[in-house]
Amino acid sequence: MKPAPFDYVAPTTIDAACALLAEAGGGALVLAGGQTLMPLLALRMSQPFIVVDINRIDALKGVTRVEGGTRIGPVTRQNDIITDTILAEALPGLVTATQHVGHHQTRDRGTVGGSIAFGEPAAELPAAAVALGATIEARSIRGTRRIAADALYLGPYATALEPDELVTAIHFPDWPAGTITLFREVARRPGDFALVGLIGAFAVTGGRIARVGIAWFGMGPTPIRARQAEAALRGQPAAGLDARGVAALAVADTAPFDDHHATAEYRRTVGERIFSRALAEASVLF
Amino acid sequence: MNAPIGAGRFIGQRLPRTEDARLLTGRGLFTDDVVLAGMLHVAFVRSPIARGRIVSIDAIAAGGLPGVHAILTASDLAVLRIDMLNFFLAVPDIAIGPLASGRVAYVGDPVAMVIAADRYLAEDAAGLVAVEYAEEIPTVTISDAKRTGADPVHAGTESNEAAAMGDPEDDAIEAVLAAAPHLVSASFTHQRISQSPMEARGVVAARRGGELTVYISCQSPQLVARYLAQAFGLPPANIRVIAKDVGGSFGLKSIPWREEVAVIAAGMLLGCPLKWTEDRLENLTASNHAREQELTLRVGFDAEGRMLACHADYGINNGAYPHGADANIAVMMFLWAAYKMPQFSFLARGWYTNTPGLGAYRGPWAIETQVREVLLDMAARQIGIDPIELRRRNLITKADQPCTTPLGIVLEDITPAECLDKLLEAVDVAAFRAEQAAARAQGRHLGLGVAAYIEPTAGSTGIAVLATDVAQIRIEPTGRVTAILSTHSQGHGTQTTMAQVIAETLGVGFDAVSVFEDDSSRGGFGAGASGSRQAVAGGGAAIRASAILVDKVTRIAAHLLNANPAYVRIEDGMVHVAGVAEMTRSLREIAEIAYGEPDRLPPGMEPGLEAQYRYRPPPITFTSAAHACIVEVDTETGFVSIKRWVCAEDCGVMINPAVVEGQIAGGLAQAIGAVLLEDMAYDANGNPTTATYKDYLLPAISDVPDFEYIHASTRSKAEGGFRGVGEGGAIIGPPTLINAIADALSPFGARCLDTPLTPSRILDLIAGRTSAKRHEAAGPAAEKATMPPPPAPPAAPPSPAKAAVDGLWKMVLATPMGPQEMTGRFETDGETLRGRLDSAQGAQDFQGKVSGTHLKWEMKVTKPVSITLKYDIQIDGDKLTGKVKMGFFGTAKVTGVRA
Repeated sequence: MKPAPFDYVAPTTIDAACALLAEAGGGALVLAGGQTLMPLLALRMSQPFIVVDINRIDALKGVTRVEGGTRIGPVTRQNDIITDTILAEALPGLVTATQHVGHHQTRDRGTVGGSIAFGEPAAELPAAAVALGATIEARSIRGTRRIAADALYLGPYATALEPDELVTAIHFPDWPAGTITLFREVARRPGDFALVGLIGAFAVTGGRIARVGIAWFGMGPTPIRARQAEAALRGQPAAGLDARGVAALAVADTAPFDDHHATAEYRRTVGERIFSRALAEASVLF
Repeated sequence: MNAPIGAGRFIGQRLPRTEDARLLTGRGLFTDDVVLAGMLHVAFVRSPIARGRIVSIDAIAAGGLPGVHAILTASDLAVLRIDMLNFFLAVPDIAIGPLASGRVAYVGDPVAMVIAADRYLAEDAAGLVAVEYAEEIPTVTISDAKRTGADPVHAGTESNEAAAMGDPEDDAIEAVLAAAPHLVSASFTHQRISQSPMEARGVVAARRGGELTVYISCQSPQLVARYLAQAFGLPPANIRVIAKDVGGSFGLKSIPWREEVAVIAAGMLLGCPLKWTEDRLENLTASNHAREQELTLRVGFDAEGRMLACHADYGINNGAYPHGADANIAVMMFLWAAYKMPQFSFLARGWYTNTPGLGAYRGPWAIETQVREVLLDMAARQIGIDPIELRRRNLITKADQPCTTPLGIVLEDITPAECLDKLLEAVDVAAFRAEQAAARAQGRHLGLGVAAYIEPTAGSTGIAVLATDVAQIRIEPTGRVTAILSTHSQGHGTQTTMAQVIAETLGVGFDAVSVFEDDSSRGGFGAGASGSRQAVAGGGAAIRASAILVDKVTRIAAHLLNANPAYVRIEDGMVHVAGVAEMTRSLREIAEIAYGEPDRLPPGMEPGLEAQYRYRPPPITFTSAAHACIVEVDTETGFVSIKRWVCAEDCGVMINPAVVEGQIAGGLAQAIGAVLLEDMAYDANGNPTTATYKDYLLPAISDVPDFEYIHASTRSKAEGGFRGVGEGGAIIGPPTLINAIADALSPFGARCLDTPLTPSRILDLIAGRTSAKRHEAAGPAAEKATMPPPPAPPAAPPSPAKAAVDGLWKMVLATPMGPQEMTGRFETDGETLRGRLDSAQGAQDFQGKVSGTHLKWEMKVTKPVSITLKYDIQIDGDKLTGKVKMGFFGTAKVTGVRA
């Protein structure tokens, strides 16, 4: 670990952190769990003037129930998501997705907010936020705003967050009781970023799919919402779904790429297969 | 499990390792743990381009940073005489400097070094050194290197061929192949591998009090000391090399290389201690690599599946600066060594490219077992024979030995066929086939892979630095035993295993023995952890040195107690006389007398209890094995899951079965990595694309199954009956796994020729697609490329031939063991050529034919092996080029100039 020189501050309040970010004028980076930032600093790929460590801001930690949903503080550790009793009840799909983030050791330190704000296109939590309809609360000295997860991701590691904005909460809306969540990930080794992965939530009321949210990860420059598949499923009878047809539609929205680990063709082919297989398996539960 | 053959009180016992408590609780002493007063830190400025000319280096801004002590380039180091050496401790043909001089030859090539108060500052300054390059088009792959017309990687050379052995084809063998009832051909490619030791390279160097002290992560402190003495022209006594704990090397650290030599040189120039610890980015992108190879095999079989003949065409990427310019002749030596292969010809070539240099890696020749065993399975499918039966028909059994392989290796006690039998007692193939059929009916794809091999270990011939090992053992006046060995643990646990051997032989407690192997100033030369030699060569030396002490203690005790030496026994640190309990003395009492009361010793006996033995093991000690692996391939995603892995290996007498199994398991983990995950990739511009462990995927614990072990334990001819076992898992593991995958994919007609078998590539195989990488690899047609142009007979006989030929010539023969210098004297008389060749091996006269300036002669030599050398030389002015056919060793290049 031999980063380029930087200043380090560890404020204890959100206001102080926002003031620091404003003052830095874009030269600051926020340190939450550090599981991505530390390697980037070590490799000198990231050379901030100032690192704002938010680990001492208690207001950014923990899971609470709010009107119509669940609020997760961004500095909540990923392992705490996995063992949280509120989330086990309200967002089992998020819990499953979090179990696939890195390794037990990295999840002890890694945070929900860090993963969501960084925007790695092959990461689980940004896709979970998109699929489950989360909104991201961002604060700066200019004020507080809410950004739909859908609108947050602009490209690889590029988000709609301004340099002076701090993520202060992630709001997940409630899904009806009995909602089925599908999660599938294909990664070279357990804990690696996905070659291809998907998360989908399906709320079935009166035998019909009343509400649906599906997002891919590892299938393009950002987490990608499977809008065509969602539209095709919404309002349809849950029985007798054409899993293959829906899978083909779901893949149609993706824009995967070739890289060292797999071809775009592989991602599309396997994405369609795991989607189809997962939907067929899940439909017996609808 | 049966008690291992040769098991004693300590030998053969699964003793917990002495070093583990220290290593597992963070009390190890690795190079980076060393802190010296006044120590400064080094960071390297490295080339961002694969090939080009250095136009200028501007270090003014960097040098002005507070805390920066110096910025050195090749011209600064040039004030010292530094001869970088190759693996054979010889000066290589292509000069190698510690830092790039004038040109850069790969991304990561060290161009300058910054010396600063700490590594942070050194890195800050390195980022400010401005280097301007004139970029050139690089040569990256073997195919690139073979392309003629482009400028060679190294100035002053005619081609990128780094080394060559063998012949493009042999008429007799081609005829057999053409007439063979079954001809099986395949072209394989193997990706580049990063050795990836857990501890990367590192060095701390200080010259103080006239002594150069070097802490370095290495495979042998003695070898490094010898290297530095030769490279810097310093007396060895003034060099002390220390390596207490090393976190793995796998061949990467067999010799100090450019960065380490640069740090040591800079330390001498600046007169203060320097430290450099390689970081992982440097280790992945700027350390030497291994394994990037291609091999085309053509094998003829008779109607019953017996092998008739083979031709192999092989290429290995040497990078820019290999640890030894290498055609990897060992691939050819061991390709068919365990099999009855009547006729065999080959062409093996190494190629320079603009990539990091070739280094050793656990079983550097391992592709021979990979391609042979995978091809045998293909042959079995093609001929319609069970693959195990095909191996049984062709493997050399105990009954076939002794015998000599086509390449001159004498086999006396290899047991691959017997290992295969033992393996099949544990693996019920018929039951598996039934399970496989049932699974296929459900759309699941199981596969069984089997492979057999032999592994040369502890060689003591051919490579001089690997010939012998030494043990210096003392029974101290306290009765404790101190052993100083030329072995070295990279995590091998030699402090435990060598203590087991010594305690067993001496008759003392295991805890009474302390083993030291960490400091070149403590003991004599040895190559340490190289060539799977430590149990055999180190263990043999330890037994022989211990035996000298047993004899001495026995004679002293017999003299003191007035007893018959035949009745004296040493057991658990006590010296007994059989049947006379009151005569029992402790070893300490005997030792105190041996050191302190020499008058009580037998007349004329040297005082003390100190012994040394330098042991030369047999020329080669072979370990044999057969492995089986069962996999399931998910044909929807292309993922491979390993269900079971059974090893039946024969590494002779085992010193510590837990250590043996750890060695096998470690090699198998690397095999799984090479087959499924690891790939050190470069783009067309020579940029590494797998520069971190996010992209270079090592096998994790979840990728490695529990292995089952069966030990055969045929005593070897070496002292103690041991056989080496360090590299085997990495050699036999790949084909075992590949064959299992190919078996699972056999309904799709898939041939697994290229590694790694990534999920993406497996889906390509299932779909019958040719993967992108395959197109880059040269197919058999492209491989018909060129040997160095054979000397063509001159079109018209040049007239004054005698004057052009006669006289003294300085010649260099490029042998597999490195360049060999000779002086040739030629004298022509019409069409008759008479001459004499003079080399370090001696002088020999010959007679041959001359046609113009084209010379041909044959001469028999007996050293290092008995072969006939056929010279074919063309003289052109003051230059001489040609080749020497060296029997089964193929063909070597010869060059020369008029003396």
